[in-house]
Amino acid sequence: MFTDIDPRSPTPIYAQIADRLRLAVASGELKAGTSLPSVRALAARLRVNPATVVQAYRELERDSMVEMRQGAGTFVADVGAETKAHERTAAIKRFVRQMLTEASRLGISPADLRAALGRETSSSESL
Amino acid sequence: MSDVIRIRDLAWRAGKEFAIRDLSMTVPSGAIYGFLGPNGSGKTTTIRLMLGMLTPADGTIEVLGHAVPKFAHRALARIGYVPERLHLYQSLTVDESIRYHRAFFPGFDDAEAERLRRHFSLREDQPIGRLSKGESGKLMMMLALAQRPELLVLDEPTDGLDPVIRREVLSALVEYVEVQKATVFISSHLVHEQERICDWVGVMDGGRMVAELPMQEFRSGIKRLRVANAPGTMDAAPFALLSREALNPQLDEWVVRGWQPEMREWFGRSGAEVRDVYDLDLEDSFVELLRGARATTIANGAN
Repeated sequence: MFTDIDPRSPTPIYAQIADRLRLAVASGELKAGTSLPSVRALAARLRVNPATVVQAYRELERDSMVEMRQGAGTFVADVGAETKAHERTAAIKRFVRQMLTEASRLGISPADLRAALGRETSSSESL
Repeated sequence: MSDVIRIRDLAWRAGKEFAIRDLSMTVPSGAIYGFLGPNGSGKTTTIRLMLGMLTPADGTIEVLGHAVPKFAHRALARIGYVPERLHLYQSLTVDESIRYHRAFFPGFDDAEAERLRRHFSLREDQPIGRLSKGESGKLMMMLALAQRPELLVLDEPTDGLDPVIRREVLSALVEYVEVQKATVFISSHLVHEQERICDWVGVMDGGRMVAELPMQEFRSGIKRLRVANAPGTMDAAPFALLSREALNPQLDEWVVRGWQPEMREWFGRSGAEVRDVYDLDLEDSFVELLRGARATTIANGAN
């Protein structure tokens, strides 16, 4: 699930972890009550500072996406359909913004990008 | 005690060429502190001073609350040190090295040493002289962690190791830090690795500390700007200019430190305009910071 964590990205690592988990909860990949990896296990797996994982989990807890139970671990909360839809929209927006930034850096105009996106999506739908 | 390492106004000299000057450093408790700097910038010398292996000409060093070098032995009992090169007797086996090392550390954890030995796939009867570079790296890390130190001082622990072994070593380190709430001081050239695990950064160049700040600040504060009609002078600029380069007569590229979005206004006052703001990763920030620091040194006529 965390294969795309990129330390070189301008998005801080804790935010990348949190975003990835939000999307997994929103898409139903992670169901309510599922336990998340312990801070120690996830930090060791990603080779990141344990504090970074704690920061990601805290942010999700603040947004009521997970519950941190003392001594037991961190669990996916029961998230309503409305919140899930909202999270999905937010994830798509983040993705598109990233693409736009990258395109502008490469000198691709929004019009060209839109045209290419239209062509690519219609050809992949007809597959 | 909130600082694990406190160095103030440290000076040290070897001959005419090389010196550590006015070095101050603060490593807060629980930090994973990345110590960056080009080859020959004084990183290893600083580490040796910190551990009492060299005597400073001036300044103070305090490690885990003990004055160094005078009480270095008290600090060393609580420090796990992984030097740049293998420091074990070539004629011993892995098991003999563990027993030898254990004799110096009363808190040495045999069970943990055994667990790590298996985890790292090191054979007990392997002679040290015949270990591969990766195996030596794992053995040194294993010995340091099994001491159950409060502070780990790692001098390029994974430089030169293959990516698989690097991951194993770093995972073991991260796990230890989380369980023991230890402080880590890690010197390395592997900037991307530092970027993942460190929450503090100290940058050395030419025997001086060029910058010391939390990783997030380091990452977010250094930006590359595209500036149209850039001003020639830097009157009361709210940021530090590290470098500037004209891309064409109308457009400049600036690298600045301490950037905040509101600072666009400063350019507006002289009729300039910030067209784009680019983020830099740690490696680019590091390179730009050194470029800036060297330019300042030359401008001040120092050195």
